[in-house]
Amino acid sequence: MNTLSAKVQSVFEEPGCATNQAKPDKERKKGCNKLLAPGAAAGGCAFDGAKIALQPITDVAHLVHGPIGCEGHSWDGRGSKSSGPMLYRTGFTTDITEQDIIFGGEKHLYKAIKEIVEKYNPPAVFVYQTCVPAMIGDDLEAVCKAASAKFGKPVIPVNVPGFVGSKNLGNKLAGEALLDYVIGTEEPAETTPYDINIIGEYNLSGELWQVKPLLDELGIRILACISGDSRYHEVACSHRARAAMMVCSKAMINVARKMEERYGIPFFEGSFYGIGDMSEALRNISGLLVERGAPAELLERTEAVIAREEERAWSRIAPFRERLTGKRVLLFTGGVKSWSVVAALQEAGMVIVGTSTKKSTPDDKQRIKELVKDDAHMFDDLKPREMYKMLREARADIMLSGGRTQFVALKAMMPWLDINQERHEAYAGYEGIVALIREIDKALFNPIWEQIRKPAPWDAVAGQHELWIQVA
Amino acid sequence: MSQNAEKVIDHFELFRGKEYTEMLANKKCLFEDPVATEELERVAEWTKSAEYREKNFAREALTVNPAKACQPLGAVFAALGFERTLPFVHGSQGCVAYYRSHFSRHFKEPTSAVSSSMTEDAAVFGGLNNMIDGLANSYSMYKPKMISVSTTCMAEVIGDDLNAFIKNAKENGSVPAEMDVPFAHTPAFVGSHVTGYDNTLKGILEHFWDGKAGTAPKLERLPNGKLNFIGGFDGYTVGNIREIKRLLDLMGVEYTILGDNSDVWDTPGDGEFRMYDGGTTLEDTAEAIHAGATISMQEFCTDKTLDFIGSKGQEVIAFNHPVGVEGTDRFLMEVSRLSGKAIPPAVTKERGRLVDAIADSSAHIHGKKFAIYGDPDLTLGLAGFLLELGAEPVHILSTNGGAVWKEKAEALLAGSPFGKGCHVYAGKDLWHMRSLLFTEPVDFLIGNTYGKFLERDTSTPLIRIGFPIFDRHHHHRYPVWGYQGGMNVLVKILDKIFDQMDQSTNDVAKTDYSFDIIR
Repeated sequence: MNTLSAKVQSVFEEPGCATNQAKPDKERKKGCNKLLAPGAAAGGCAFDGAKIALQPITDVAHLVHGPIGCEGHSWDGRGSKSSGPMLYRTGFTTDITEQDIIFGGEKHLYKAIKEIVEKYNPPAVFVYQTCVPAMIGDDLEAVCKAASAKFGKPVIPVNVPGFVGSKNLGNKLAGEALLDYVIGTEEPAETTPYDINIIGEYNLSGELWQVKPLLDELGIRILACISGDSRYHEVACSHRARAAMMVCSKAMINVARKMEERYGIPFFEGSFYGIGDMSEALRNISGLLVERGAPAELLERTEAVIAREEERAWSRIAPFRERLTGKRVLLFTGGVKSWSVVAALQEAGMVIVGTSTKKSTPDDKQRIKELVKDDAHMFDDLKPREMYKMLREARADIMLSGGRTQFVALKAMMPWLDINQERHEAYAGYEGIVALIREIDKALFNPIWEQIRKPAPWDAVAGQHELWIQVA
Repeated sequence: MSQNAEKVIDHFELFRGKEYTEMLANKKCLFEDPVATEELERVAEWTKSAEYREKNFAREALTVNPAKACQPLGAVFAALGFERTLPFVHGSQGCVAYYRSHFSRHFKEPTSAVSSSMTEDAAVFGGLNNMIDGLANSYSMYKPKMISVSTTCMAEVIGDDLNAFIKNAKENGSVPAEMDVPFAHTPAFVGSHVTGYDNTLKGILEHFWDGKAGTAPKLERLPNGKLNFIGGFDGYTVGNIREIKRLLDLMGVEYTILGDNSDVWDTPGDGEFRMYDGGTTLEDTAEAIHAGATISMQEFCTDKTLDFIGSKGQEVIAFNHPVGVEGTDRFLMEVSRLSGKAIPPAVTKERGRLVDAIADSSAHIHGKKFAIYGDPDLTLGLAGFLLELGAEPVHILSTNGGAVWKEKAEALLAGSPFGKGCHVYAGKDLWHMRSLLFTEPVDFLIGNTYGKFLERDTSTPLIRIGFPIFDRHHHHRYPVWGYQGGMNVLVKILDKIFDQMDQSTNDVAKTDYSFDIIR
């Protein structure tokens, strides 16, 4: 078994993953990678997942070894924000062609790394493997090792050819690359009892920045965010944190668990979405820090901040509650967001008529069940046509989802709000929930929705349209 | 000196050189008795205040930066919509030079029009001789099929009688007796270019329908079920008329465009100069009396014309420059009703595409505040579209809008929750708008090229929709009517929103954390 398939296997057996824990031994060995149905719509590949997870490290060069398509499509496509360095947004690729495929691309790759070091001199170069060079046998690890030695600089191989599996697998493999090559390789200038890691948070739309001021106020330092708005040095030092919060469990559970195992950093799983979750997250962070030796007065200060911020957020949401109470929401998103957003929407008086659980763990599903009682339908995998049908029938007022399902929603004449990564508004923290509610309010009351549900006025054939108007 | 014969620097660069900046600074300081910088700034700030706004709106006699033009400009526009027609403006020649350059700067095409070149003695003794000579010269030189006569203020002030003058000229053999020489009195001191359009179009129809100034029998109307279509004074006429023709053809409607300027302001670059091109034929113009109904896209451009047409027994329908889904719906449904032709599925599909596009982008426009100025119909059409998008037309201003327009605009605002807190300003100018933009700021300004000064002064990004557009090319080729036109306006608005977003986030290492590829 080569190293890559061994790595993939080990990720599949991740004991921290709730899905895996529930499985019998034999099945666990088979892995949790759902086989894709050829011809059916599919999500991103492992490369994409890894790029997403690591690209938010802002001061390094991300070099994609492959033909133009891989970097061409993933270049700067995520809106994860940086407060400083911008190098991560420059698209670096070896752009390999026929000649490379015939004669091998290793030298080409080595030269590309050399040019990056000479022209940009970043603290590190992350090199991503893709399908084509993997198939012709380019040895990524060996090239990176040689380059690292030659240039005296970390050159990190991220071995994620798309064909090994899904985007989620890629997230995890990216985490493995950090664990193998980055975390624990440098030391912070100083440490405090208030140092934490935030794992699986990508600072999309600058969401981390809506949370950070509160942590700053409490004197809690984000030693490393993995990987939103982070610097290479921070990630390399992250093993010195006292505690960790894991935001996206599906993506980075292996990182959180292995850091606990290797460095004794306890973690909890939490969310910044919704008032209750945000408060819980602050409480948990402080709780873990105090357990690890921070002065106990931190807890009191935390409660004071929570009380103040909750009151402020509530008072800002109050004007909307009147307009939003009873509005029915359909959620199409994945993983942790499905339950954390549910809580947030309920705070604004909205009713959840359904939520997707495609990327949710059994634990996630349990939480959803607790939150929405039996009213809601949980949906697993949905083909666009079924989704469309459901939207037409679900009698919802608005759908919240990611960009890919946007167009299904629009065709089904459903007001839609983007709550996935490619959005442009930040919804995290107390500030974010107010923003989310404001956006929902805007989406619900935009006149185009009334228009979109109406047929052309000269269309005498009422058919479905009329029916829809009645139920909507 | 920075300027030398070997390398002559143009105006973009020249005065930025050290020699000139120093020289100009010295000149100002030594010879211009300048006020102190602080005083200058204080007064500049004061002009942005509510106190200044009050004084500004109390202005009675002075108009500053008007957003309207004069009647004869509209007269020339209307005349050019007809086959081989030469607009002949009885009055001073300078005025006509203005109309020609005005249109040419907007449409980027030559515009043909002549004047009777009245001078001082004509002002004293009347302009009859100028009319006689003028018609004779223009007929022999430019070989028009029709000469459409309008007036400048000069001729109107001395009271020249066009009807009598033209008759005289014909008797004098200036032009053949059977030559079509319709006329309209179009003094600039009454109304605006939209009034001139109205008067001239009515003059032309009156000429053909009511017996050619007593030289032919009046036409007897024999209704034939066709439709007449009038676009009105419209900076987008090239794109709009073509779009309307396409839609009417798709529906299979039989129609006559009364005043078709789409070819004369869009002639091909094939080496041939076309003084005349396209336009409504004179036969069609006469025949138009038999139509079942007439649709005008711009009520305030066709007030008297529609009255006249209505008096012949036709049903007349007027819109206010409809833009967007509902506006186009209403227009097409009227066409369908009047023609008895159904709206075909292809058009329904176009409609769906516009609705879809609006929905795709609604989050970016929703709740944005706009100021609009322009002609009465255009402002109504745009305001309607903004309301449809969930945007707020906070200031709607029209220098040539009157009480009727104001009432209409206010009713439009009252019909939508997005019209709350929006206000209508009739008869106000762009200096009023300046005060409005400072005291009640908005996100975007919609107007013509002259809005660029407001944009600079108030930092309100300008979306160029209107007439004239001098500093951007070829906008007039893209329709703003029909669903496709709505799409064009939508994209124009969105482009500016995103440009603005990019501009406010493109400072390297300062704001570029939000300089995103995907918007």
